[in-house]
Amino acid sequence: MEEVRNNSGQNLGIAALITAVITFVLAVIPCVGLVAIIPGIIAIILATVGLSQANRNNSPRGVAMAGLIIAIIASMISFSQIFVAGKIAQKADKWPNNIQNIINDVQDNVTKEIQDNNVSIKIESNGEKVEINTNANKKDQEKTLEELEGGDKAKGDSLISKKDTLQKKSGNVPRKK
Amino acid sequence: MSPEKNDVMSNRKVRLLNEPYLIINIVFAGVILLIFAYSGIFSPDKDSYPVVCIHQKLTGQPCVSCGLSHSFSLIVRGRIDEAYKWNIYAMRVFLFFASQLVLRSVFSIFYMKYPDTRKQLILVDCIGSGIIFLVAFWPFMVSIISAIL
Repeated sequence: MEEVRNNSGQNLGIAALITAVITFVLAVIPCVGLVAIIPGIIAIILATVGLSQANRNNSPRGVAMAGLIIAIIASMISFSQIFVAGKIAQKADKWPNNIQNIINDVQDNVTKEIQDNNVSIKIESNGEKVEINTNANKKDQEKTLEELEGGDKAKGDSLISKKDTLQKKSGNVPRKK
Repeated sequence: MSPEKNDVMSNRKVRLLNEPYLIINIVFAGVILLIFAYSGIFSPDKDSYPVVCIHQKLTGQPCVSCGLSHSFSLIVRGRIDEAYKWNIYAMRVFLFFASQLVLRSVFSIFYMKYPDTRKQLILVDCIGSGIIFLVAFWPFMVSIISAIL
């Protein structure tokens, strides 16, 4: 007796295969890989229903089987994209610290470079010239600061002497608090 | 249409439905054509792509495939140098799809013309396409594998 075969489940199998191929293409691209899990599940369901219909009606199962295999592989790849997202998120957390370290390095290098150099600032306003000579050495800075706080004149600071002369001329000497 | 022609057409249809390999080839070729159409329709200058990177949206950091749509559009328009700037791996992925489009057509023709060598043909296709796939998508695969491990 000849075996009776019809194409029941074949259409579902083709639909599953189309969805599975689209899922696979999406799954291997990290940008959209996570989204591919949705068509992946749809493809698995379609293929399973198609396979069961084909089994029941003794019709060919090749297309549905191919759809199911591709859908499962694609879904697995898509699922693994969650780990990629997790790793990127982990890296993103480290970024601010890395930027802070770079800023600190640059700051240290700049400070080291200018530490022993004398800095001269010239300001010219309404024909008057003011020159400030100092250096970035921490000890010198502290000494100058102490002198300024104590009201003493800084030897190398021409701004103070100029200001002092002007005050003397006008007779307006500031008092210590 | 005459009844004889109708019979021939229905026979071809039944034969096609019973050949999963041919259906896979047709479906894959259709998906590749859709990708090329997507690259051709959306202009890289307007930057109006509907697909956005989910990784970048979630983490704020670009992933290994960011800029792929842009690169594909530029490759389709022949602006290869600019395409490399958007995504360094875009060219190999584009070549994979282009080669698959050709291979699907060629293998389908051979499959129908030489029914005796079908098993060997499918085996050669699987191995060849697998190697091309690994070469093209290796950087993406590495990012996935390294994330899992």
